[in-house]
Amino acid sequence: MSKNYATVNPCVMCMPMGSVLAFRGIENTMPMFHGSQGCSTYIRLHLAHHFREPIDIASSALSERGAVYGGTANLKMGLKNVIKGYNPRIIGVATTCLAETIGEDVPGIISEFRQEEGMADDITIIPVSTPSYRGSHEEGYNETLKAIVQSLASPALPNEKLNLVIGAIVSPADIRYLKQMLDELNCNRILLPDFSDTFDAPLVENNPKMPAGGTPIDDVKDMANSSETLSLGICTQAASAGGYLENTFNIPHTRLPLPIGLEYTDMFAWKLEEITGQPLPGKYESERGRLLDTMVDVHKYVAKVRIAVFGDTDTVLGITKLVSEIGMDPVVIASGTHNPVFAEAVKNITPGSTILHGCDFTDIHREIKNHGVELMLGPFTGRQISMKENIPLIRVGLPNHDRVGAARQLVVGYEGAARLVDTITNTLLELEDKNKTVTELII
Amino acid sequence: MQEKIINTLDEREKYIKQKSGRITLPLACNNDSLAGAVSQRACVYSGARVVLNPITDALHLVHGPIGCASYTWDIRGSFTSGATLYKNSFSTDMKELDVVFGGEKKLANALRELAARYNPPAVFVYSTCIIGVIGDDLGAVCKSAQDELNIPVIPVQSPGFKGTKRDGYKAACNALFQLIGTEERKTTNPYTVNLLGEYNVAGDLENIKPYFEEMGVDIIVSLTGDSRIEDIRKAHCAKLNLVQCSGSMTYLAKQLGKNYGIPFKRISFFGTDDMSTALRTTAGFFNDPAMIEKAEEIIRRETERTGHQIEEFKRRVGGKRAAIYMGGAAKAVSLVRAFRELDMEVVIIGTQTGKRDDYEQISCLVRDGTVIIDDANPLELRELLIRQNADLLVSGVKERFLAYKLGIPFCDFNHDRIITFEGFDGMVNFAEEIDTTVNSPVWNLPVRRNCCNSRKQEPKKSGSHENIPFHEKIINTGASANVEELCYS
Repeated sequence: MSKNYATVNPCVMCMPMGSVLAFRGIENTMPMFHGSQGCSTYIRLHLAHHFREPIDIASSALSERGAVYGGTANLKMGLKNVIKGYNPRIIGVATTCLAETIGEDVPGIISEFRQEEGMADDITIIPVSTPSYRGSHEEGYNETLKAIVQSLASPALPNEKLNLVIGAIVSPADIRYLKQMLDELNCNRILLPDFSDTFDAPLVENNPKMPAGGTPIDDVKDMANSSETLSLGICTQAASAGGYLENTFNIPHTRLPLPIGLEYTDMFAWKLEEITGQPLPGKYESERGRLLDTMVDVHKYVAKVRIAVFGDTDTVLGITKLVSEIGMDPVVIASGTHNPVFAEAVKNITPGSTILHGCDFTDIHREIKNHGVELMLGPFTGRQISMKENIPLIRVGLPNHDRVGAARQLVVGYEGAARLVDTITNTLLELEDKNKTVTELII
Repeated sequence: MQEKIINTLDEREKYIKQKSGRITLPLACNNDSLAGAVSQRACVYSGARVVLNPITDALHLVHGPIGCASYTWDIRGSFTSGATLYKNSFSTDMKELDVVFGGEKKLANALRELAARYNPPAVFVYSTCIIGVIGDDLGAVCKSAQDELNIPVIPVQSPGFKGTKRDGYKAACNALFQLIGTEERKTTNPYTVNLLGEYNVAGDLENIKPYFEEMGVDIIVSLTGDSRIEDIRKAHCAKLNLVQCSGSMTYLAKQLGKNYGIPFKRISFFGTDDMSTALRTTAGFFNDPAMIEKAEEIIRRETERTGHQIEEFKRRVGGKRAAIYMGGAAKAVSLVRAFRELDMEVVIIGTQTGKRDDYEQISCLVRDGTVIIDDANPLELRELLIRQNADLLVSGVKERFLAYKLGIPFCDFNHDRIITFEGFDGMVNFAEEIDTTVNSPVWNLPVRRNCCNSRKQEPKKSGSHENIPFHEKIINTGASANVEELCYS
């Protein structure tokens, strides 16, 4: 039976969700939604489940009155109260479906608000347009990164720095790894965004009301003066912070895939060496060697195993690359985000695979059955298929609500690849245990 | 004029009161949330969705953009004893062009193809914010789909912005009311009830049902935990409605009273006392001496059976100070009584959707000094938890990590709990859960390590750490400065 009009079991989240991930990657930034109260609560709930952290997102809490007469008063009141309550340096205002549909002029309301309040420049309010009906959380994330740079980046003296834009949603552990890699190369860098602490905050005394960490605001401002921008993630092309910097400030911009797996990490490492003029520290050579060693060790266990990979485009692309490197058979590759660039990139790696984009879990389920998939890899939302078909699911990416450690899951770099290869192999080995005869033991 | 309890936004002050003396408190409530205050509430759609989603064999179709469906997929931990269709997330996934040209056609087509693929006994179609703005005629599309598909296709009028979660409950009740009375139930048993506002979270019903069976009472349907369309259609045949979650279901109970002459009684299945009262109330209503005797026998037997288990936990948790922040008032009230059974004190109590009479009841129940709060936000909860020196927070997932970050134990009493809390056995589980979290060794771990070269601190013998929960340390070490940091300023 055909299914053309309904989406069943979505493999995607909405744009404002992505905007929160971007905004929380900037220090002292409070995200706020212009729309009805529910959007902020749902997304807080969703992210709290995933990161196991308190997540505060304000809302202009539009009511029926606001929807009819416009939400100006609510938005202004909301901004005022957020400033009183949280005293942020930045308020990131993402629109919801409601605000977009009633046609709110958010930048206009914000400048009116600034004038009325006689606000100095110590608080920046960044609007971004993110209605759920226009794109997925991936696009919301990138649109917001672009909006942040648009609002803040301002030309001054050249700073000889590298802008590293993480143009795809990764984990706090991934960001920490990338940061460390750059630091060990003594790379003078600006990292955008950095939610490695804000979404994975240590438990300490005197927890601040807004989590510490994030890209320093002065760093974001200084992005206009860097000598180069490197963006990780090649799938989401419409909105790009790096593209904006290139067009506006003539900063050369390079895009690389997320460094997942051996070769994509090599590309990243090579690029860093080129930029810094320094060789990668020996530590990473060893790490790389250990990854290669791991890959060789396991190649027969994982050979030709039919795997389905699904989730965010760039993560799926990188993992497809990784599982291809070790000789697995990536038969079903899917993303809930509609994205032809992604489909093309995957096709270049594995031309024989069934590639889906803009799909839901019914589509993924059908292909998993058609191809006799033996292992699934993606967000926890695949769990129903995993349980129904009795196929193990390795949880990678957002959302992961039913296992712990999502914030500390390392996937990027040589180390991340080695860990993932271990997990994949052990999952398959455990599966084999189930088929073995149990030895009779006497106590 | 009461003095300020905590520093908060001026507009919020009237929503926070501390009980003192006999006077019942005038607490502001049941209003729209304040913009920018970071309310813990959701929206109208969410209210409707949580009430209806536990109907296990229905197809729940969200007419709107994908987000609304993504975040509510299998959201409520309602168990099923059979059908699983409700564990799917169906959406019309409105795109930009649908918003411009209207979504009626897409909805009609989606209904057609979903009915063909899943063959459901009924469909609920939820409207979301943008549907409320672009003005799709949900009623008309549902009506014509119903005629064509020959199954009930029920519109749930729940655009997110058109009120609060409470209005969503009402929209859900209206949808249920459309189904009720469409099928007759043949029974010789004169003792029949519906359970209203029982959602079978974690499988609670299994702790309740056997007692009703023992008393000779048939439960026609539980609304809506583990319910099926066929049973909902017959709900009008019950002689009595037992209303547990009053916030969500009193409206339906009244409708059923008006239209079918079914009286309702407020009950709760949580806590030994409330569970006992629920059985007595039911037996008392039917006024059958054998049933009344049976109820007493059950209560004696079960309280004795579970009593000494609870007693064991009570010794370990007695005297602790609990904070309660719930979605609805009914659960909050029941919790106050349950904590009394455990010799625990309630120091904060709040709800998202309580009404004036709920808060009046609450203020009668709690002791002097308890802070009562409506539509709290994270900053207020943080400050209250510290100022009121709470040893425990009972609430939902969003609040869990807020408590943990302050070093305060937490008990999930919301959709996400996986342990049954209702019935006599549920109370044992609850007591154990409280003991598990309150007395966990994690709270006694040193929050700060003694640095080797620290001159300020005396070196400590290894293995000895101060036996003070670290949230108490937060308060005890430089309290004034820290608390200021927590407040609105």
